[in-house]
Amino acid sequence: MVSAPGTPRCRIASCLPLLLALGAGCAPAARPAAEVAAGHARYFGDVTPPLDDVLRFNLGAEPEIYDPSLAAGQTDGRVCRILFEGLTHEDARTLEPRPGQAYRWETSTDGLTYTFHLRPGLCWSDGTPLTADDFRWSWLRVLKPENAARYAGLLSPIRNAEAYNHGETADSNAVGIAAPDDSTLVVTLAQPTAYFLYLTQFYTYVPVPRQAIARHGNRWTMPGNIVSNGAFTLRYWRQNNRFEFARNPRYWDAANVRLQGIVGYTIDDLNTSANLYKAGVIDWVPSGYLPSQAIPYLREYRDFRHGNYQGVYFYSINVKRPPFDNVWVRRALNFAIDRDAIANGLLKRSREPWGNMTPSGYPGYEHPPGLRYDPVRARECLAKAGYPGGKGFRKISIQFNTSEDHRRIAEAIQAMWKNVLHIQVELSNQEWGSFMQGLTGLQYDIARRSWLGDYLDPNTFLACWITGDGNNRSGWSNRRYDGLIRQAAREIDPVLRFAILREAEALLLDEGPTIPVYHYSTNELVKPYVHGIYQNPLDVHPLNYVWIDRDWRNHEAGAPHALAAPGAEDAASGGPAAAGGAGRAPSAAAARAH
Amino acid sequence: MVTFLLRRVLLMVPTLWAIATLAFFLVRGAPGGPFQSEKEIPAIARAQLMHKYGLDQPLHVQYLRFLTGVARLDFGPSYKFPSRQVREIIAEALPVSLELGGWALLLAIVVGVPIGIYAAVRQNTTGDFAAMAVALAGVSIPNFVLGPVLVLALSLTLYWLPPALWEGPQSRVLPVLTLATAYVAYIARLTRAGMLEVLRQDFIRTARAKGLSERVVVLKHASKLGILPVVSFIGPAAARVMMGSIVVESIFSVPGMGRYLVNAAFNRDYTLVLGEVLFYAGLLMTLNLLVDVAYTWLDPRVELA
Repeated sequence: MVSAPGTPRCRIASCLPLLLALGAGCAPAARPAAEVAAGHARYFGDVTPPLDDVLRFNLGAEPEIYDPSLAAGQTDGRVCRILFEGLTHEDARTLEPRPGQAYRWETSTDGLTYTFHLRPGLCWSDGTPLTADDFRWSWLRVLKPENAARYAGLLSPIRNAEAYNHGETADSNAVGIAAPDDSTLVVTLAQPTAYFLYLTQFYTYVPVPRQAIARHGNRWTMPGNIVSNGAFTLRYWRQNNRFEFARNPRYWDAANVRLQGIVGYTIDDLNTSANLYKAGVIDWVPSGYLPSQAIPYLREYRDFRHGNYQGVYFYSINVKRPPFDNVWVRRALNFAIDRDAIANGLLKRSREPWGNMTPSGYPGYEHPPGLRYDPVRARECLAKAGYPGGKGFRKISIQFNTSEDHRRIAEAIQAMWKNVLHIQVELSNQEWGSFMQGLTGLQYDIARRSWLGDYLDPNTFLACWITGDGNNRSGWSNRRYDGLIRQAAREIDPVLRFAILREAEALLLDEGPTIPVYHYSTNELVKPYVHGIYQNPLDVHPLNYVWIDRDWRNHEAGAPHALAAPGAEDAASGGPAAAGGAGRAPSAAAARAH
Repeated sequence: MVTFLLRRVLLMVPTLWAIATLAFFLVRGAPGGPFQSEKEIPAIARAQLMHKYGLDQPLHVQYLRFLTGVARLDFGPSYKFPSRQVREIIAEALPVSLELGGWALLLAIVVGVPIGIYAAVRQNTTGDFAAMAVALAGVSIPNFVLGPVLVLALSLTLYWLPPALWEGPQSRVLPVLTLATAYVAYIARLTRAGMLEVLRQDFIRTARAKGLSERVVVLKHASKLGILPVVSFIGPAAARVMMGSIVVESIFSVPGMGRYLVNAAFNRDYTLVLGEVLFYAGLLMTLNLLVDVAYTWLDPRVELA
């Protein structure tokens, strides 16, 4: 799970028009008659449905690689999900696995062997039959060390996959993937993995077209060369402009795909994104592409959706540098933070104040008590550390990558520490490359960070704090913590497992090198005539069964979202659905720093 | 003339080499590298990526390989967008910036030069002050303010024009206006200053003494010399608009050169940064050469040697 952009994007201070526009939101506009429609039902801008069945949306920042075997960024994943389909594919509402390219499967009693049966007559968009061996070939392609796939680790539940990926064995037959015939794929796992069917819908697990790759090499993803197996094919791509997808008539469920096409514009400027939505040029702005200062105003509109997103914004403390090697100093810094003032005041309720390291939304997981604002205790802790009233405490610095929001938060925290603890804090903003180098090389006091979950399980937020993990980046090392995380990985009983993880999180919060600040939220705009896009904590949106409702006003009165795409239900029947249990799904590894 | 051109072109080679060398070592000296992410990239994948792009070789070997590539106008693949060659990215984005910048400059000249001439002829009258006040405002309003204000007025309130995207002729209007305004103002001021100086010269007095009409004196005799400062400004300005404007391109989501240049530097996309820097350097030198040639045509006193 990638959490930040390799790309600090240049955000232009063009908030002016949007704010003005919002302020004047009720003013009668020339064209969008529905701006103030039917009394209280207000929508943001034009609500005239398009004449064709094409969904236009802001895809986000330009994807880097949309070869699904190599892709890793959030927008990379968005393109891959439109073009390709794995053995299973996610339900648009619940994200639970539904039969995809496989129409049924069996699991051995020990949970180690999965036998997938592919739908009869599957084929690629160029008409070539799609076989089980295509899956085997594609998965091995992800694992081949020379391909340097960033998400190869997602295949590690498969027997010997990790060894093959690390170059410890060159024998592809040792890897637990077998295709005994054209329509059967047998996968042998290294250990029972309750969430394996969630993995098989992730884009790293989709088949890629061997024939096109052989012919075009690394240019196979270009329009004209690319062959796909999902509901849509790629018709046009222009960098920094747009992707155009067309309905794939050879998709197995093409009869239930109602969109004729999708246009994904790559717009990275947040205000531009909102402007285009308001003008009715795009129908959907996914989360992360609305200016945060506009969100309090957008809340008033019916087409705005807000929900929890699986991510935590936090400050990391370098425990290798005194005085942060003293646990009481770390506690003092934590208790002196007023999260409420930051999330609700400074950020105007666009985020949730959060004092835990794991986000909300894991059924069955009970969080340990979160860190609270307690100035008295903060001063006590600092005194215990040997700096009563902040005396003798050296000037410390907060490092963050250049961004307006990061700066505002750092300034607020600087003031809180000064007022509560009487310590001097300086701010240091750096451009992305320098910032990352300082973080990785432990050349910092306190640094801004964020973490977005890969799959729906607290483990994705806790495992990275074990000694020496590449994402620890704080120098913190605690033997008891390491033991708890390893113990949880071996534990099969979900209740016990969560109890162990809860204990680990409590320890991390009490002693750890982190200062959680807020919980991420999804904030998106969807036109009322678009059906089939649902808010969820992973911000993953399958678009196969989305449709444009030109008669939406007549459907609006009752429950606007009660309408489902008829195809979605049909598609869901047909195989034993879902592994019960842990319920973890890998996410669109989001690639944005907020 | 021919020897002049030949010498100038030959001089470009060592200059480009110096720029290439400086740019190469500067970009490599910057902290961080192209394969960084807030989520750690597995060590094996990173090593393979470094190997794939030859970044594991000694720096001097990489430098030589880079120079031979430059000599063949081949900068290699972008690190950030590995399915694309730097050459392709430039070839796709350049026409867009050329179109946007071309219209903006043309508009700036067509509007700016007459304003400047008018102001010079009416020096110290109300008309002059009004024209120069407008020009001052044009220079002073940054395009990241002007662009959004135009969007608000013309797209989101009046719904006359699309607020962004590069599709169809209407989409050109707002970005061109935004980009042109500063140039209009600047060119008007340059023209005015140039004209004022020329109008005081002896040959103008001679022309008037011959009994030529004021119209002929100003438009035929004076303006040719009066716009010389504008011509020398156009060279570098044209190079700059061709490299795109990050601000205008972001506000209007235009797929031009500007967004690449800035983001490539942030991403440490070494090949893309170097490709763009060298392209810009070459462009700037070529246009300056063209400006020098244009001088001989506009001012008979200038001789190329």
